[in-house]
Amino acid sequence: MSLVLNVDGDRWRAHLRAIAEKRSGLVPVIKGNGYGFGLGRLARKAGWLGVDVVAVGTPSELSEVANRYDGDLLVLTPWRSFDLPPESVPAARLIHTVDRIEDLRDLAASGDRPRVVLELMTSMKRHGFTPRGLREAAAVARAGGVRLEGSSVHLPLGRAGGNLAEAETLMTELVAAGLATTVWVSHLGVEEVARLEQHYPEVTFRQRVGTELWLGDRGALAVRAHVLDSHPVERGEVFGYRGRTLPRTGTIVIVSGGTAHGIGLEAPTGDSGAKARVSALARGGLDAVGLAKSPFTLGGKARYFAEPPHMQASMLFLPAGTNVPEIGETVEVRVRYTATYFDEVEIS
Amino acid sequence: MTSPLEVRTISGADHLAFLRTQDSASFLQTPAWAQVKKEWKAESVGWFRGADLVGAALVLYRQLPKVKRYLAYLPEGPVIDWADGDLAAWLNPMAAHLKKQGAFGIRIGPPVVTRRWDAAAIKEGIADDATTTLTALAPTERSQSGAAVVSQLRELGWVCQSVAGGFAAGQPQYNFQVPLADDDGPLTPDQVLSGMNQLWRRNIKKAAKAGVEVRVGTAADLPAFHDLYRLTAERDHFTPRPLSYFEVMYDALSAEDPDRIRLYLAEHEGDLVASTIWIRVGTHAWYSYGASSTEKRDVRGSNAIQWQMISDALEAGATVYDLRGITETLASDDPHLGLIQFKVGTGGEAVEYAGEWDLPLNKAIYAAFQLYLKRRG
Repeated sequence: MSLVLNVDGDRWRAHLRAIAEKRSGLVPVIKGNGYGFGLGRLARKAGWLGVDVVAVGTPSELSEVANRYDGDLLVLTPWRSFDLPPESVPAARLIHTVDRIEDLRDLAASGDRPRVVLELMTSMKRHGFTPRGLREAAAVARAGGVRLEGSSVHLPLGRAGGNLAEAETLMTELVAAGLATTVWVSHLGVEEVARLEQHYPEVTFRQRVGTELWLGDRGALAVRAHVLDSHPVERGEVFGYRGRTLPRTGTIVIVSGGTAHGIGLEAPTGDSGAKARVSALARGGLDAVGLAKSPFTLGGKARYFAEPPHMQASMLFLPAGTNVPEIGETVEVRVRYTATYFDEVEIS
Repeated sequence: MTSPLEVRTISGADHLAFLRTQDSASFLQTPAWAQVKKEWKAESVGWFRGADLVGAALVLYRQLPKVKRYLAYLPEGPVIDWADGDLAAWLNPMAAHLKKQGAFGIRIGPPVVTRRWDAAAIKEGIADDATTTLTALAPTERSQSGAAVVSQLRELGWVCQSVAGGFAAGQPQYNFQVPLADDDGPLTPDQVLSGMNQLWRRNIKKAAKAGVEVRVGTAADLPAFHDLYRLTAERDHFTPRPLSYFEVMYDALSAEDPDRIRLYLAEHEGDLVASTIWIRVGTHAWYSYGASSTEKRDVRGSNAIQWQMISDALEAGATVYDLRGITETLASDDPHLGLIQFKVGTGGEAVEYAGEWDLPLNKAIYAAFQLYLKRRG
């Protein structure tokens, strides 16, 4: 009984190669649930791609990546004294993101000459120095104690073209700080990076790419769940954890995959339009009232949850007259990969 | 801790005396320029640190129709220490002073370079059909201190007025300049000449061979200049300024400094073929106005007169010969391209300034003023 990610290996690897080709200075992002693949697998894949550096989200993710990949490791979450990298990871391979002058001073005082990138605040307002703070930080970094590996901007997901204007404004700030040397960027389109490279030929852009790299070719990925059981139910008959009833007669189908896998949870999408919200809802963002569309496809259609999903299985409702799948058959599932834990990943 | 800066009105004499201590300043920031812009109220202001005058500006007050409130305009100024990382210390007391004088908003033009493109880069840009603007072209040099000025102005609430495309803002953001010195000091005329393209060099020779003679005139020659200038305006479709404007300019600038302004005349067999106005403040010399005849273009009076002005600028100790504004365009079908190509032939460089920036002091009146400008078109 498992939720399985099936990967068309040749197609997936060809896609990874194509992105590496298209995204000069590629920095694969390996964080969270490893985009459904797992951190370790992506770390090995980054080694296979031949990149010189990868980015992890947090210090805690380092160990799983560090022993499966030989190159440098950028930590995206800004350095904090209360969340240090594991000692097992060689400091020489680590590049820290820094967004506060006090943290920079701490690092500079450590005596190890740690490698740092200084992050500038973007319209996202998550982490980063103000422009004035960045100029100050650059001066502190240059005074010694750390090795400056460049500057960083983390742009929001953005609408088409919107990020370029912001990126150009931010570039002026980096120039003002004397940090327009190596610039680590994310969420810029290929065209946008090309424009920046044209306007700033003296700058090396390091492109952090996660979703587009690992999940960019959805056609190479298929998620399947097992049919575990099925039971006919009469209209009004009580079933499930919550003692629910259904207004129609049909079949309850139990499939593998529940909240423990991330089924029924939400993750942000790049698109925030009404249509995207509806489809996010369809993929499992549900409330307990009434029926919600499930991400499971049976008989060519997305079926309703009979009740909200459980830890490891979901109950679906099939109306009377619909072909009921056999136990042991597999069905297709649409998932948010970044929020889904698969029982197995099978790469052909 | 240095003492805070104070801003107050100063006399024209003190203003001028301060400018003389500077390497250079825009001629639009000289006290004499106030006399040229007679339709506006003008004020010289100074920045004081204790008793020391450490900065100065010419402020032109442009009145809003019907209301006794003004836009305080500091063209290509103020003349302050733009490299100071704490521009708030300079600009905030200025804003307070100008507000007291009745300003609803302030417009400045920091004389700060942000990018440079050399002639070779521009030539490549023109040749490449995919490159249609200067800004799309990788600069030869990018200024960190220029970027820091832009960053600080944004931080302090100033709003950039430059618009894509060209001359729409007050003073041009893009200018073309011929450097007359390098790290080793002043260049020789031969060095400047060898930086020019072949066509320029050939035309300068051609003019000399044809017997074009260039001389520096006096105020008495202004009517001759103006006759030619009116014809040029007609040919090139721009609105000429009246003769009186140039007479006032010549008198005011000459009175301030005997070598501030020169009128040049290029003659061929008694015919005036080109005439120009040259201005210099310290080490910066400008080609300010120019006129050329439609007849006898083959004697290359324009090249001859430019070369004379460049040579004389060198002789006067200038380190920059400034051909003033260019548009951003590099598109082959743009009517402004010819002007850029003419300037590029001198072998100089395109220079981007930080542009003009506004600080609204009274948001409502400032908004009304913006609307008025928009309606006026």
